[in-house]
Amino acid sequence: MSFWDRVKPYVMVSPSITVFLLFFIYPIMYLFFLSFTSWNLISLTKTFVGIENYVELLKSPQFHLVIKNTVLYTFLMVSISIGLALPTALWLNKRGFLHKFTQGVIFTPHIISLVSISLVWMWIMDPDYGLLNWVMGFVGIPPSKWLANPKTALISLVVVGVWKTLGYNTLVLIAGLQSIPKDIYEAAELDNASKWRNFYKITLPMLSPSLFFLLVISTIASFKVFDTINIMTQGGPIDTTNMIVFFIYQNAFDFFKIGYASAAGVLLVIFLGLMTFIHFKLLANRVHYR
Amino acid sequence: MFKKTVLSIVLATTMIFTMIGCSSSAGEAGDTAAGENKKVEIEFWYSLGGDTGNFIEAMANEFNNVQDNIKVTATYQGDYYENHAKVMAAIASNTQPDITMVEIASIAAFADAGALEALDEYAAKESAGFLDDYVTGLMSNSYWKNNLYAMPFARSTPLLYLNVDMLKANGLNPAGPKTWDELQEFARTMTKDNVYGFATPIDIWFYEALTFQNGGNILSEDGTQAIFNSKEGVEPIEFWQNMIKEGSMKMPPGEKYNAWDVARQDFVNQNVGMIFTSTGSLKGLLEQSEFEVGTAFLPAKKDFGVPTGGANLVVLSKSSDEKKQAAWEFIKYMTSTENSGLFSKATGYMPVRTSSINSAEMEAFYKEYPQFTVAINQLDYAKRRPMAPGYRELQEIIMKEIQRAVIDDTMSPQDALNTAAEEAQKLLK
Repeated sequence: MSFWDRVKPYVMVSPSITVFLLFFIYPIMYLFFLSFTSWNLISLTKTFVGIENYVELLKSPQFHLVIKNTVLYTFLMVSISIGLALPTALWLNKRGFLHKFTQGVIFTPHIISLVSISLVWMWIMDPDYGLLNWVMGFVGIPPSKWLANPKTALISLVVVGVWKTLGYNTLVLIAGLQSIPKDIYEAAELDNASKWRNFYKITLPMLSPSLFFLLVISTIASFKVFDTINIMTQGGPIDTTNMIVFFIYQNAFDFFKIGYASAAGVLLVIFLGLMTFIHFKLLANRVHYR
Repeated sequence: MFKKTVLSIVLATTMIFTMIGCSSSAGEAGDTAAGENKKVEIEFWYSLGGDTGNFIEAMANEFNNVQDNIKVTATYQGDYYENHAKVMAAIASNTQPDITMVEIASIAAFADAGALEALDEYAAKESAGFLDDYVTGLMSNSYWKNNLYAMPFARSTPLLYLNVDMLKANGLNPAGPKTWDELQEFARTMTKDNVYGFATPIDIWFYEALTFQNGGNILSEDGTQAIFNSKEGVEPIEFWQNMIKEGSMKMPPGEKYNAWDVARQDFVNQNVGMIFTSTGSLKGLLEQSEFEVGTAFLPAKKDFGVPTGGANLVVLSKSSDEKKQAAWEFIKYMTSTENSGLFSKATGYMPVRTSSINSAEMEAFYKEYPQFTVAINQLDYAKRRPMAPGYRELQEIIMKEIQRAVIDDTMSPQDALNTAAEEAQKLLK
C-alpha cells in the first residue's frame, strides 16, 4: 500500500471533520468554559466564578418553571403529533386522488418557514379579530384569548407546533407502512386474522423503527422550540410559555448574562443527551428491525 | 450513481463560487482603500421600522448628498431590543456599527459595559452653549457616572389619545380627563356594548408614568434601591386592576410591543375611546383615524408626571478615531435644528433642540396641529427613566409581576410588587 493510499481516507474525511470540530465541538467546549464565568459579551475580562451560575440556576424558581414548561410542551407535542400522525397515515396509505391531495395539504406546513407560520397563527388566534374565535363561535364555543391567557398560551403553541409537524410525521409513517411486505398481510388473511389483530401484530411492530425515529427526533425538536415563542409570546404571559432555549436567548442577548445563559445551555445539552440515552435504553430493544 | 454525480457537481460549483466570491470582495476592499476619494465610511444601525424608518433612511441619504467626506450606510436592525442584542453580539465579533440607537433606559447598561464612547470632548469642541440647546428634559438619560454618552434623537413621552367624536357623543369634555378619577368616570361613561372606554398596554413605561404621578419612583435617586413596592407604586396597579374588573378598561392582549399594536388598532377601529401610547404614534394615528383625534397630558394623581422614552444616538467605543469623529458629525446633522423639526413633523417624536421648537416653521406647524404641542408642554413634568445597568432585566421582572396582578385579580398588587422588589434588589447590588 502506497503512502497516498494510506492517507487518502483521512484526506477525504478531513473537510467534514474540520467543519464538525469547528462548528460543533469547539462551540460546545467554549460553552462549557463560559458557563463557569461571569461575562457581559463585550468586556475583555471573563471573571471565573466556578459553579456559581449552576447554583443560581438550580435555585431559581423561574428556571424550575422554564423546565416544567419545556417538559410539558415536549410531552404534549410528541404524544399529540405522533398520536395523530399514526391514524392519519393509516388512512392516507391508499391510492386515489383524495388521499394524494390530502397528503399534499397536510405536508405543506412543513415547507413553510416557522416564522411565517407564527405570524399567520397570531392573526388566526387574535382574541378580537381572529379567525379561530369566529369559527368557534359558529359551533357555540365561547371565545378564548389563546396566546394572551396564561391558561391556554402553552396549549396554543402546541396547536401551532402540531399543525406544523403533522404532515412530516405522517409522511415518515406512510413510507414505513409502504415498506411492510404485503405477503405478511396475505398470510394473516389466510388465517382469518381480524383488522385489529393485523394492526397490533403486524403493522405496529413493522412500523416501530419509524415510530422510534419520530419519537427521538420530535423530543429533541420540541425541547429546542424557539421561533414560535420568540414571535408569538415572548415567553409570556407571566412566563407560562418561557422555555429553555428562549430562556437562554433572553439571558444571553437581552440581559447580557452570558455565563448564566451558558450554564443553562450546558444543562440543555445534558438533558437532551440523557433523554436520548433513556429512549435508546428503554425502547431500542422493542424496536423491530428487519 | 447519476444522483451522486449531480450532487458532486453542484457541491463543486458552489465551492468555486464561494471562493470567487471571497476573493473578489477582498479585491474590492483593497480598491477602495487605494482610491483617491477617501471618504470615511461609517455604519449606522437604527431600530425604528415603517414610515419612521424610511424617514431615517432618507435623512441618512440626504447627509451623504450634502457633504463629500463621510458616507453613512444606514441599516434597519429590528426593534430596540433586537438592535441591542445585535449590537452587543457585533461588538463581541468585531463587526459593530460606528453609531446606533439605544433605548434610553439601556444607556446605563451599554455605558457600564464600556461599549460607548464618551462624548464630552466632542461636545466641548463645539460652539459655546451647544449642549444647552438640547432640551433639558431629554438629556437626563444621556449621562452615566458624570460622562455624556448619548445624544437625544427619536424621543417621546406617553400621551393620552382621545377619540374626540366619541367624547362629544357621550357628552364628555372633549379636552379629556385631567385626573385618575376623571379618567375612570370618562371610561365608564364611554364603555358600552363592544366599546371600551380606555385601554393601555400593561407596560413598564406607563407604570412608571402612573407611579411618578402618584409621587413615587421605581428606583431610589442613586439607582441602588428598588422603591416601587411602596404605596405610591402599588396604587397604580390597584387602579388598573379595578378598572379592568369593572370592565371600563381593556387590557390589550399580546406580549411587549404586540400589545401596543393592539391598543392602537383598537383606537383606530373605535373599539376603544381613549388610549395611552407614545408620541411617536401621533402622525400615524392622525392619518389612519376617521374621527377627530385629540391628545392630552396623562391624567394626574398627586401631580402630572411622565417618563420620557425613545432612543438616543450613541457612538461605539470600538470604532477608530476617524470614524468616531465622522459619527459625531452625523449625530450633529441628525439632531440639527432643522432636521430635528423635520423628523418631529414626519413622525410625532419630539424635537430635541430648543431652537427647533421655537423656529418659525415649527410654530406654524403647531398652529395647524395643536396635538403636537401637548408632548412638549408635558415635558415640564417629565422625570428621567431609571438609570441602572440591570434595568433591562429588572423591568421584565416588574412587568411580569404587574401582569400577574392584573390578570389574576385574587393576587394582591402589594404581594406581586414585593416579589418583584425582592428579585430587583438582587440585580441592583
